[in-house]
Amino acid sequence: MVRALGIISFSESNVWVEGMESFRSIAAFPFLGRYRVVDFPISNMSNSGIDRIQVYIRRKPQSLVQHLGTGRHYNINSKSGYLRMMFASSTEENDYYNTDIRTYMEFIDHIKNTSNTHVVIAPGYMIYQQDYAAMLNAHIESGADISVLYHAVDNAKDAYQNCYCVNLNRQKGVKSFELNSGTAKNRNIFMDTYVMSKAMFLDLLDEAQKLSSMYTLRMIINAKCDELDIRGVAHKGFFAPITDFKSYYDANLSVNREKIAETLFKQSWPIYTRTNDSCPAQYFESAEVKGSFIANGSVVEGTVIDSVVGRDCKIKPGAVVRNAVLLDNVTIGEGVHIEGQVVDKNAQVIHMKEIIADPEHPGYIKRNDVV
Amino acid sequence: MKQNSMLAMILAGGRGSRLHDLTNKVAKPAVGYGGKYRIIDFPLSNCANSGIDVVGILTQYESVLLNSYVSGGSKWGLDSRDSGVFVLPPREKADSELDVYRGTADAISQNIDFVDSYDPEYILILSGDHIYKMNYSKMLNAHKENNADATIAVLEVPMKEASRFGIMNTDPETGRIVEFEEKPAQPKSNLASMGIYIFTWKLLRKMLLADMKNENSSHDFGKDVIPAMLNDGKRLFAYKFKGYWKDVGTIDSLWEANMDLLDKKNGLELDDRTWTIYTEDAPATPQYVSSTGSVKRAYVTQGCVIEGDVRNSVLFTGAEVKAGAKVVDSVLMSGVVVEEGAVVQRALVADGVKIGAQAVVGDPDSEHIELIAKNVKG
Repeated sequence: MVRALGIISFSESNVWVEGMESFRSIAAFPFLGRYRVVDFPISNMSNSGIDRIQVYIRRKPQSLVQHLGTGRHYNINSKSGYLRMMFASSTEENDYYNTDIRTYMEFIDHIKNTSNTHVVIAPGYMIYQQDYAAMLNAHIESGADISVLYHAVDNAKDAYQNCYCVNLNRQKGVKSFELNSGTAKNRNIFMDTYVMSKAMFLDLLDEAQKLSSMYTLRMIINAKCDELDIRGVAHKGFFAPITDFKSYYDANLSVNREKIAETLFKQSWPIYTRTNDSCPAQYFESAEVKGSFIANGSVVEGTVIDSVVGRDCKIKPGAVVRNAVLLDNVTIGEGVHIEGQVVDKNAQVIHMKEIIADPEHPGYIKRNDVV
Repeated sequence: MKQNSMLAMILAGGRGSRLHDLTNKVAKPAVGYGGKYRIIDFPLSNCANSGIDVVGILTQYESVLLNSYVSGGSKWGLDSRDSGVFVLPPREKADSELDVYRGTADAISQNIDFVDSYDPEYILILSGDHIYKMNYSKMLNAHKENNADATIAVLEVPMKEASRFGIMNTDPETGRIVEFEEKPAQPKSNLASMGIYIFTWKLLRKMLLADMKNENSSHDFGKDVIPAMLNDGKRLFAYKFKGYWKDVGTIDSLWEANMDLLDKKNGLELDDRTWTIYTEDAPATPQYVSSTGSVKRAYVTQGCVIEGDVRNSVLFTGAEVKAGAKVVDSVLMSGVVVEEGAVVQRALVADGVKIGAQAVVGDPDSEHIELIAKNVKG
């Protein structure tokens, strides 16, 4: 069996999540109150037998570092394998220079000096389930130079705004990558996931450096679509890229528990995360909860409808939480009514009795804020 | 190397036969509690929080699951360079035959070599099947202040129940124990022993060596070692514990201890971050209450999916209540599934049991809690 090196990448400079990303990288964003976004690519790799994983981190590392720690919780043998954090050490004023390739080059020895023959590169800002071992085997079988993952959608006009699309020929060969312009409903959204040989990866890095110091991996591959055999691999099941504030909000609230049981939460495919030793959630007599995910450590005395409640949150009596995403340790005070909001960690909504937004244009309540 | 001034030994060998089918496959300390915990998480977390680094666990009955559960000690942070959790079943030794632990004291006697290897000044003896939070370092301070040979944690129980316990009669001024009575018919005090002892190791070591040779001894701390120490005029002190403490010896009391968690001020305060109870974190999805679900007065942990009606109940990891089902005044242990339209009342449903559609189990008017340990057909 080939042994692939796992690389968790950061996003291109067009991606920015207003508000939340000032505090932590997207990889460290909570998902459904229990996970962090990065748990999904790492668990996918771990479950696929990839046990050397490098997580590339561009900015605001603290939250992610705390979450990843030794990586022991991802079920990787800590002697023969590893989970390593690779920090981009220099940043340019002009963000176009701060590419993934620039950071790969910083750690090129760590990529070269492994016995791994292949690389699997997956984004630390997209949530989906995928068996990379199967993808790797199919890639080798096909004889292609590069395999990339895409997801066919029928709502590209309204969503996936900062994502790229793959344009395919009939044989599923990739003709080009282009930014989703929102002009067509049916598009193949690029999942920023690549499988290739390590030699190919190193060649691409070299070539990109020669052509343009602002090139990202996607850009250099796009430039080589005519030369190389690049195959698109269709992904099915739950897929949620986090590329702006709205997509983060939607990712949490679009989850249909019954439907995703088989595509994101498979019994045979555990999603690992770090425990934070919270006690179970407590519901009191006055609790009214419908259609919601509730994380451990929370105390529910009020009403929660179609929402996600993070760890150690307090929903006081008479409070109403609807279509909202609460991060950890949020308090929603007595009689407070919030709707269509993302409430960041440690915030307390006590004095404002009504904060309501249309789910199409959700609001953001700042971390540590008291309102 | 850090000095391990006090070593803890947890007695976890008991079967807990009054828990019936719950302990057919696992020892009592490994029985689940409070949604995500096992009973032994309490003494182990108390040790970790009290700054105790090395814990020995004396196992005997059905110890496979318990062994794999505690091994490594990482769940409680007891896995640093100088700390560890060690499972100690009876062993065959060069100078003695393989023998079961004949009593609580014998379990320690057979592991004198283990204790000696850490050269502790004090030894803390705990029971693996009690639910409580306690700072053992405070108890050690009292032990040192009293210049005691042994300190025994005691709980004030109602006088009319005192005859069910081992009772310490103390000098009210100093707390020094003058007499110990096992289940006295006419109790003179209501200070019940909690089975938590601190001994000065040098002295206990001597007492244990003598006890091993004593053919009339039942090799038990309460029945033999403590009375022998009192006889010898040693300095034994009672250490009063205040707070939540439960010995979950029966199905009724295990159910009750779970129900206690539903109260706002339950005395155990599992959400208190200054004294966290650590446990295994099983991979599980976030808990979910669907549009058809309803949850009131309940303690629910990750992995649960609630589509039905849950009241006055505690749900363990991964329990599922399907649409139209009702769970009232009950405990659903890990992985229990209550199918559509089924009703569960005043019951404790064991790990992995399925209650079929439309089935009715338990009785709202029953005196005792019903244990459901086998699948129930719909």
